[in-house]
Amino acid sequence: MSDQTHIPAGHDLAPGEEEQHSVGERILGYVVGLVLALLLTATSFFIAGTDLVWQPSIPVALIVLAIAQMGVHLVFFLHITTGPDNTNNVLALAFGLLVVFLVVGGTVWIMSHLNANMPPMDQIMMRQ
Amino acid sequence: MLGKLDWSAIPFDQPIPLVAGAVVLVAILAVLIWVVVRGHLPYLWHEWITSVDHKRIGVMYILLASVMLLRGGSDAIMMRIQQAVAYQSQGYLPPEHYNQIFSAHGTIMIFFVAMPFVIGLMNLVVPLQLGVRDVAFPTLNSVGFWLTATGALLVNISLVVGEFARTGWLAFPPLSGLSYSPGVGVDYYAWSLQISGVGTLVAGINLVTTVLKLRTRGMNYLRMPMFCWTTLASNLLIVSAFPILTATLAMLLLDRYLGFHFFTNEAGGNVMMFMNLIWAWGHPEVYILVLPAFGIFSEVVSTFSGKALFGYRSMVLATMAICVVSFMVWLHHFFTMGAGPDVNAIFGIASMIIAIPTGVKIYNWLFTMYGGRIRFATPMLWSVGFMVTFIIGGLTGVLVAVPPADFMLHNSMFLVAHFHNVIIGGVLFGAFAGFEYWFPKAFGFRLDERWGKAAFWFTFTGFWITFMPLYIAGMLGMTRRLQHYDVAAWRPWMIVAAFGMAVLSIGVICQIMQLVVSIRNREALRDRTGDPWDGRSLEWATSSPPPVFNFAFHPDVRGEDAYWDMKARAQQQSFEHDVPEYQDIEMPRNSPTGFVCAFFASIMGFALIWHIWWMVILGGIGAFATFVVFAWRDHDEYVIPAEEVARIDRVNLEERRSLVSMAGAV
Repeated sequence: MSDQTHIPAGHDLAPGEEEQHSVGERILGYVVGLVLALLLTATSFFIAGTDLVWQPSIPVALIVLAIAQMGVHLVFFLHITTGPDNTNNVLALAFGLLVVFLVVGGTVWIMSHLNANMPPMDQIMMRQ
Repeated sequence: MLGKLDWSAIPFDQPIPLVAGAVVLVAILAVLIWVVVRGHLPYLWHEWITSVDHKRIGVMYILLASVMLLRGGSDAIMMRIQQAVAYQSQGYLPPEHYNQIFSAHGTIMIFFVAMPFVIGLMNLVVPLQLGVRDVAFPTLNSVGFWLTATGALLVNISLVVGEFARTGWLAFPPLSGLSYSPGVGVDYYAWSLQISGVGTLVAGINLVTTVLKLRTRGMNYLRMPMFCWTTLASNLLIVSAFPILTATLAMLLLDRYLGFHFFTNEAGGNVMMFMNLIWAWGHPEVYILVLPAFGIFSEVVSTFSGKALFGYRSMVLATMAICVVSFMVWLHHFFTMGAGPDVNAIFGIASMIIAIPTGVKIYNWLFTMYGGRIRFATPMLWSVGFMVTFIIGGLTGVLVAVPPADFMLHNSMFLVAHFHNVIIGGVLFGAFAGFEYWFPKAFGFRLDERWGKAAFWFTFTGFWITFMPLYIAGMLGMTRRLQHYDVAAWRPWMIVAAFGMAVLSIGVICQIMQLVVSIRNREALRDRTGDPWDGRSLEWATSSPPPVFNFAFHPDVRGEDAYWDMKARAQQQSFEHDVPEYQDIEMPRNSPTGFVCAFFASIMGFALIWHIWWMVILGGIGAFATFVVFAWRDHDEYVIPAEEVARIDRVNLEERRSLVSMAGAV
């Protein structure tokens, strides 16, 4: 079906069909990604168990490391770039993030309300 | 050996499902025997069942939807009759049977009528409108259709083997949990939705990719017909919302099969989480259904007014706004279930906000008609009928979006009337408008206008007579899903509604008659131009029915309303291209992958429902093996030589030329 696409080449690409790099360059990209991902994973495990840092900062550090991990995956493995050939992918990612944010955030908010207002009967008894 | 399945699964004591099942079985057998005896089987296999042509798959989707519409409609008739007679008596349907009927009615109408109808129309039309030769993933398209058919098959099997869910169309726990629904009904419900849900997701991915990646030369986003935009929005919603449904039902199934406690009352389960998740899918779902209908109305109104769509860009913006905001309103389905005032207020306001882009659309259609030369052909009748009906449905929707009002009306017949008002008035009228509008394109002959108009007027009036009384009954305090009742004030309205159902049924009969009469008179109704309605978008640029490759040449698009533009230019010049140079065309090969995959999925689904574990493994291996065989295929395309393309295209051009010169002579 390749003859159907009349959108000029380089205008818009699907993930994994980026322009031809040499094999060496592509392997290098994946190796860098792998090393970074492993580094971030190892750091997370280290931070989780350490007492070298201020304890309440640990969850924040883990969240930061997790977001960095996602970024590494997106850049090195899913090849999301900021180039004009990636508009669709970036928009899809943004829409996906928005939906996840709305559904997860909304669910947490709604469920906290329902839990506060509609506890099981024994908890209502305990409050009184 | 056979799990929970034995002879007690067949309801010998209930005559209605048994007789209905027997009649359907005999009918299917008769059709099968006729097909085999007349030697149509090879044709059916090669040209339809294994077809990966988006037009054929679209037609099969619509056929499935039409058959299931009759099934869901008979459920509706039974319910209306029951409520008309069950005043201070038990009526003629026992409670457990009545509960199955309203559950099956909702499930079938949403998942196996509305969904396949709109997906079928999108499949049929969108590649033609984009000026391309197929969808992005043709075989996946076939898989998607056949998995949807599997879901429909399982729902229908439940009529005679076992039972269907008695829980309502969304199977809320704890009622749908193992302790309150120990039978196979909920399992039929959940597995048929899981399997057809995979099919829907696949169709969604396919259509999003098609719109984003396959467009003909010059077809920018802002030159796409409105229907392509609404298809994009609707399928983006499918891709992001259907996984929520799949995950939620998977959790319900884990509760039922493996003793998990996601949605149970005890051991830390939370039934409200099901409510929350299912509606996080459920509200986008109604926009998945209605957005393509909005697209159809845009095409129809613009064509039959002889004008470009008014406010095209505002329409695009409104569509995408609905696409995003539809993910911010789901709580309005359970305002009454314990959320505090701030949550209810925010979701209530969001629900009212979503009426704004919808209102923008209504005004755009009205202004498109304003000053136009309107032809009231059947598709246009459905569109105008939609506008009148949908405005009322939308307004009652804004009413129940106000939390205090919703506290009065929640789960009442008012709500039932409201959502039928928007789903019938919006989605079903849209589907019928699209059916009438694109039928000549799909089959090469028009539908009979007289029967079509009769079908519209009976359906339209029947709809009002059926559902307006339900609004009133709701205001009188009648709740939904009542098997019988003792309030005298409700009775007259139920009788009026049953009468309305009779009128509505005449509309359906007219629709069937229209098809029969049109097929018999097809020579007289033949469309030789490929453009029976004086259309504006590219699907009318090719012949009716289009050749398998759709277009001999990729159309060159230079503005909105691509085909209108071409016609205008062709009148000024002599004709488009005089001696075109034809080239070989590569098309995807037909593949039985979809059918075989769905065959094994059906076995697996049935076995899962009845706990026949060896058969589950068999079906699972079969489906996976089919996928592997397909993945290892050697060549999946064949070539249509240039001479063949030229021959087909010349015939079409000849017909058009002769008609144009005839028109010129007059």
